[in-house]
Amino acid sequence: MKKSSIILIVIIAIAIAMILVIYTDSSTYSTFTEAKEKNTELYVVGVLNKEKDLHYDPVKDANHFSFYMYDNDSTECQVVFNGSKPQDIERSEQIVLTGKMEGNTFHASKILMKCPSKYNKDQVEVIEATTTASL
Amino acid sequence: MDINYVGEHLLPGKIGQFFVILSFGASLLSLISYFFATKNPEEKHWKKLGRIGFLLNAISIVTIGAILFYLIYCHYFEYHYVWAHSSKSLPTHYIISSFWEGQEGSFWLWMFWQVVLGTVLVFRAKSWETPVMTFVMLCQTFLASMLIGVEIFGSRLGSSPFILLRDALDIPVLKDPNYLAMIADGNGLNPLLQNYWMVIHPPTLFLGFASMIVPFAYAAAGLWQKRYKEWMTPGLPWALFAVMILGGGIIMGSFWAYEALNFGGFWAWDPVENVSIIPWFTLIAAVHVILAYKHSGHGFFTATLLSLISFVLVIYASYLTRSGILGETSVHSFTSLGMSGQLIWFNLTFLFIMIGLLVWRRKDFPRTQKEEDIYSREFWLFIGALVLTVACVQMIATTSIPVFNALFGTKVAPPIDPIAHYNKWQGAFAVVILLLTAVAQFLKYKRTDSKKFWAATLASLIITILIAGITVYFTKVYTNVMYVLITFTAIFCIISNIRILGDAFKGKWKLTGSAVSHIGFGLLVLGALIAAATNEVISVNDSGYIGVQNFGKEGDKFTDPGENLFLTEGEPVQMGDYKITYIGDSIAPPNVYYHIKYERLDEESGKVKEHFVLSPFAQNNPDMGGLIGTPATKHYLTHDVYTLITAAAADSQAPMSKIKDEEKTGFEDYDEPATYQVNIGDTLRYRNGVFVIEGINKNAKLEKIPLKPSDVIVGLKIKVIAADEKTYEAEPTFLLKDGNAYDFNKDVSEQGLKFRFTNILPEKDKLEIMVYQKPLPEKKWIVFKAIKFPYINFFWLGTIVMTVGFCMAIYRRIKEGKKGNVKTSI
Repeated sequence: MKKSSIILIVIIAIAIAMILVIYTDSSTYSTFTEAKEKNTELYVVGVLNKEKDLHYDPVKDANHFSFYMYDNDSTECQVVFNGSKPQDIERSEQIVLTGKMEGNTFHASKILMKCPSKYNKDQVEVIEATTTASL
Repeated sequence: MDINYVGEHLLPGKIGQFFVILSFGASLLSLISYFFATKNPEEKHWKKLGRIGFLLNAISIVTIGAILFYLIYCHYFEYHYVWAHSSKSLPTHYIISSFWEGQEGSFWLWMFWQVVLGTVLVFRAKSWETPVMTFVMLCQTFLASMLIGVEIFGSRLGSSPFILLRDALDIPVLKDPNYLAMIADGNGLNPLLQNYWMVIHPPTLFLGFASMIVPFAYAAAGLWQKRYKEWMTPGLPWALFAVMILGGGIIMGSFWAYEALNFGGFWAWDPVENVSIIPWFTLIAAVHVILAYKHSGHGFFTATLLSLISFVLVIYASYLTRSGILGETSVHSFTSLGMSGQLIWFNLTFLFIMIGLLVWRRKDFPRTQKEEDIYSREFWLFIGALVLTVACVQMIATTSIPVFNALFGTKVAPPIDPIAHYNKWQGAFAVVILLLTAVAQFLKYKRTDSKKFWAATLASLIITILIAGITVYFTKVYTNVMYVLITFTAIFCIISNIRILGDAFKGKWKLTGSAVSHIGFGLLVLGALIAAATNEVISVNDSGYIGVQNFGKEGDKFTDPGENLFLTEGEPVQMGDYKITYIGDSIAPPNVYYHIKYERLDEESGKVKEHFVLSPFAQNNPDMGGLIGTPATKHYLTHDVYTLITAAAADSQAPMSKIKDEEKTGFEDYDEPATYQVNIGDTLRYRNGVFVIEGINKNAKLEKIPLKPSDVIVGLKIKVIAADEKTYEAEPTFLLKDGNAYDFNKDVSEQGLKFRFTNILPEKDKLEIMVYQKPLPEKKWIVFKAIKFPYINFFWLGTIVMTVGFCMAIYRRIKEGKKGNVKTSI
């Protein structure tokens, strides 16, 4: 057997092992209820509760931002983020949180937002027509 | 019913749409003609027709670009693309950036570069022109179809940049004949793209992507035409060119992210970054195996496969970023334009061409029966290429998780901490690759004298151990075994290649390009490692006066002090080595610049050793989601101090007075007054100091008011001493005229004070004064984050050195190619 063939086999074996490890590294998208049970870091997907106040008072603490979010099972939970308020969270359509549950609040270490893109927004800002149409 | 719309400019759009269709037709014509020209080389008219098609295509592409520029320049918001990606306030030089904010524009850019490359090929490729151009034009045809924007059999093919706003959006307002007068402005360009790096980074990156078609086309043409060995000679300089440009483009993007984005770093393992680096890795692997094959005859299949797959991966990258499939995992991919079907076909076509050609010609591949020697360069080049490929497999596997989810209906989420995940794997690969780039340079093709090899290697190794030890000590990366290993191998790579460079100066010029580019690579990895491993947030909020944040357990990441620091205007805060003060802001619409003064004090004498002002700015753009910060960075030779605004007082953008001038009484700016009964010589406090009642002026005079002898007029001398020891004089006056009391107040506007002398109380022997104070203005504040990046200059320096090395290698290979041609013709 040629040396290169042996090395090729070894490398393919490494590649396969690697892919298996990648999938043990991977995570799952879960809900607040699951987060309470598991107590490990995970992803929670959901939407912002726009009716409740977003709390961020940088004068008091520049690293404390809290808000309420519904997960995919429509469970509501308070979320606390140890950082400054992400700029466009009010407009977000969907939020992906990374973090873990501590008691009854979810402590997020990362917030990823899906915002209406400029393509989908498709809202034309209209100014008042000053001239009347002449037909 | 047809509506007569007012004020539209439809002609340029119609011309543009015509050229969009023409560009598709012309590239299809060129593709077919070049195909038959290759099949029947004796029929000259096919080649001529192919060139005509290419020329027509080139003219169309240039015209489309010109018209689109014209539309954006004239702010014709009746066109959806113009409305969606520009606004009236956009400076002219950023019009060019709005070309690549949208997908249509970036497809145009890709086609434009392909036209440029195609032109070079038509003039220079000689006997390779027809087969190579067949593949280039196939790609061009696919790209042109992305812009057509016509409905065929109920599904839309492509998306045209010339589509009208009223056709693109279904909104009642747009049915109004006069809708154009109602559209105030376009959506504008994302402020993040309003950066000079965004003018240059996308074109470079797209030139890199576009030029990867050339090695693909040469490899495919080589298989098709059975010119197996030959294709590598003209293909190699092109592959080097693509690697150089793409590498430069990727690092430019990384520099843009570092300078203009608020990621807080230069590399984030975002899927968009990964998919651009994957084809770069595979093509680098291809370049190395091509070299191995040219010198030893080993590895034809691998060299060809890697050259072909690199371009397939470019298309895959464009599928991932443009189809919206990465939505949940990436911050900055395009959203879907409903073209993912088309992109999948594009991808599959090139994948099948690759597989088909390789299977079809598998029997004819040149092979050697000889076995590679362990002490041969080609053997280790081959191993290096395989390691690079495995590194790519890792990146593809993790990045493609959303694709697997879509394919198999699973719901696997990517790793929680992608940066740690990728660093773990890619760090290990980097160690192997760096080791190979060092060692393989001491080997010769075919067979090396093992004694000479070990002598050279060990000598370099000893120097490396010394330098690496010092580096590890000073950069403090010794906390992590992997960091130490990468530092060591990167320095080994640099030292060994410097040695090779030394030999080059003694006359072995051939290896200069490779030595220089490998030194650059070593520097790049070293800089990236040190900057990424030892960067520290220096704006740590460890004052501890906020109890709220310490909720979790000890050692939990959530209990770490936050990374954002709160600064009030004019109040210095100690931050690491620096005393920092927020000294105010200035407005240059649409940006607000926040000036932060950094002072480094000498510990003993307290003197300022060094000071500088950083002015990160933020743009408040409600359309784009509020305040968007752009960092400011102080560059030193050994480190950078990076500062970013994360929040700011909302009113710093627009201070305004609500009360009209004529309604002012002069007192509305003041707080409720305080009334004091005082004697001469009394000292009283106010918010910012004290004031002293100094005495009475019985000879006070008033202009304009004539006084009778019976009137009493008294002035009260008051001296104000502010906290900063400045003094001010004021003399409010009291007047008794015809039995009525009047008083005339006096301001000390610098201190926000107003004094009234309101009464004289002879029975108490007191004087009555009223003091008005302005409320202290609410101090402006900012929340910001500062990060120190040590030795990041190695990263940028490495990039430049590497690019220079590539240029030298390209020059050498082109020269060799020419020599080779001469040889064969003789």
